[in-house]
Amino acid sequence: MFGSTSLRLAAIYTAGFAVAVALLGAVTVLTTRSALADQFDNRMLTEMNAIRADYIEGGYKGLILEIGERKGHPGELSFGVQSADGKPLEGTLSAIRAPTGWSTMRQLVDGEMHTLRILTEDLHGGYRLILGDDEARMRILEQSVQRAFGLALAGVILIGAIGGFALSRAMQQRMQAISGTAEAIIDGDLARRVPVSGGDDDLARLAQTINRMLDRIGGLMDSLRQVSSDIAHDLRTPLTRLRQRLELNLRQADDPDRKSEIEGALRDVDAILATFSALLRIAEVEAGARRAAFREVDLTDLVRTVVADFAPAAEDAGQSLGMSKTPPTWIQGDPHLVTQMVVNLVENALRHSPPGAWVQVGIERGGGLVTLTVRDNGPGIPLAERDKVFDRFYRLEQSRSSPGSGLGLALVAAVARLHRAEVHLVDARPGLEVRAAFPAA
Amino acid sequence: MKLLLVEDDAEAADYLKRALIEAGHAVDHAMAGRDGLLLAAGETYDVIIMDRMLPQVDGLAIVRTIRAAKVRTPVLLLTAVDGIDDRVEGLDAGADDYLVKPFAFVELLARLNALARRPPPQDVATALDVGDLRMDLLKRTVTRASVRIELQPREFQLLEYLMRHAGRVVTRTMLLENIWNFNFEPQTNIVETHMSRLRSKVDRGYPRELIHTVRGSGYIMHELP
Repeated sequence: MFGSTSLRLAAIYTAGFAVAVALLGAVTVLTTRSALADQFDNRMLTEMNAIRADYIEGGYKGLILEIGERKGHPGELSFGVQSADGKPLEGTLSAIRAPTGWSTMRQLVDGEMHTLRILTEDLHGGYRLILGDDEARMRILEQSVQRAFGLALAGVILIGAIGGFALSRAMQQRMQAISGTAEAIIDGDLARRVPVSGGDDDLARLAQTINRMLDRIGGLMDSLRQVSSDIAHDLRTPLTRLRQRLELNLRQADDPDRKSEIEGALRDVDAILATFSALLRIAEVEAGARRAAFREVDLTDLVRTVVADFAPAAEDAGQSLGMSKTPPTWIQGDPHLVTQMVVNLVENALRHSPPGAWVQVGIERGGGLVTLTVRDNGPGIPLAERDKVFDRFYRLEQSRSSPGSGLGLALVAAVARLHRAEVHLVDARPGLEVRAAFPAA
Repeated sequence: MKLLLVEDDAEAADYLKRALIEAGHAVDHAMAGRDGLLLAAGETYDVIIMDRMLPQVDGLAIVRTIRAAKVRTPVLLLTAVDGIDDRVEGLDAGADDYLVKPFAFVELLARLNALARRPPPQDVATALDVGDLRMDLLKRTVTRASVRIELQPREFQLLEYLMRHAGRVVTRTMLLENIWNFNFEPQTNIVETHMSRLRSKVDRGYPRELIHTVRGSGYIMHELP
């Protein structure tokens, strides 16, 4: 799920936004708390002033009357009147000991501990007036602010999650269109282009840029094809004339020495042509345009046929070529190219093994792979040279004198790449085992 | 045979024409595709030899036009293009055979002969006979002088091809293409090894050999000494 960049970005963005909302909430709660405290204190001061004024006007009686009037109102304060020496005279707070001015104290009210804000004043004429406000009322207001911010935070996270998911879905679909096109091109469909949608945003521009790049690559591929086709024509035309001239001379020649010279020249022309054809074939396979022609191939049947076709030749050379019994194994591939690959591997093993050697071909299945193995008990290949044998024109020092173009295994590597098969050389002690692992169909 | 050669390279065409005439054939030569098309439609030929790469026009397009005009003359495509699919493409367009340049003249000659005397398609034979050798195509059995011969599948295919082309030279490349379906040249001489096994089964112990080697060309099957 977090493989999606857009989803990850949306998640990070939502988390950051949530932190910001939480911070804002904390600051708001703190500010509200101090503003509320000021407001509550101001109210107590206002009350104190009003009661004091009534006391100056009406004396002790006026004071008690004023306090009595305030009872039963919503949000009422608590009152207490004491004599100058602290004796309780009137009101619920008359028994407490509080210093003159502001103070805070904890008191049991109806079996619950409450925090009270207390304002005490010494009135002229020997009375002490005590006002008290329950801070629980302040807490209720604070809690409602906190709840509001909690809800806002949950809303932010929910909207962020839904929005992020929707956004990343939309992004993913457009990204998938791009990667789907790239996959199709890897598989050889060079004409495919990324669909351009969504007006003129950055992804649409990216799609257009990719398409321009693909046009350029397509153009290069076309000119490469044109060049190889031109070379093919311009090289084969003079070679054709050369061959014809040599053949004409061969027909007209009487001297046996001259005849054999001309025959040698003809063989050289054919060898040039064979190398040239092999190179073109490798280039054609590497261009990768052939995956479109893939179909289901029974590798077992294909290999069995090749082994049957080459076993008599191996026998004549004093070698033996065999295959272990295998049920049908299916791969996606081009049967002509896979046949040539198997032929090249078998020929390579036979050619580099002495008379009396055996070559055993097998097919293993497992792990979603179909693995072709060609094993011989010949001299093998030195470790240092194992990677190079798949290069064009690479030939082992020990086989420089024997025939062969040095292109057989390069073609094997090209065909393997086209089929997404992995080729490994394994030391079979003695001899060599070539393993080509194809994805199973 | 009367042949039509459509080839734009004058020098190559000249050599080819000379060699074909030397081999006893009559040759008409067209340099351009349009002339070739007119000749192909107007005259009767045994085989048309068509270069695939002509100036301005693809030889394949001409083959298609010839076939669209209901001309059934066998066409042998000559080509400098040796792609993996080119042979199939050529045959799909209506050509009967496909030969990559440069080629040995004997190869061309063998293929021309194979094309010219092709039996009509409605003739569905159930048995093939060459001398006292008989191949039963329904029972998939081979007998010589009524003695059963056991053959491997490839040997059977090889013998069938030789018998169907009896009296005509069959080259190594023709066998690779038609029996093995190889469009590449293996390094191993598998044609020779299979042929020698087939010959030992078909000819050994009989007074008259039926399969003959034609030096520098290939093989031929006939009952002449």
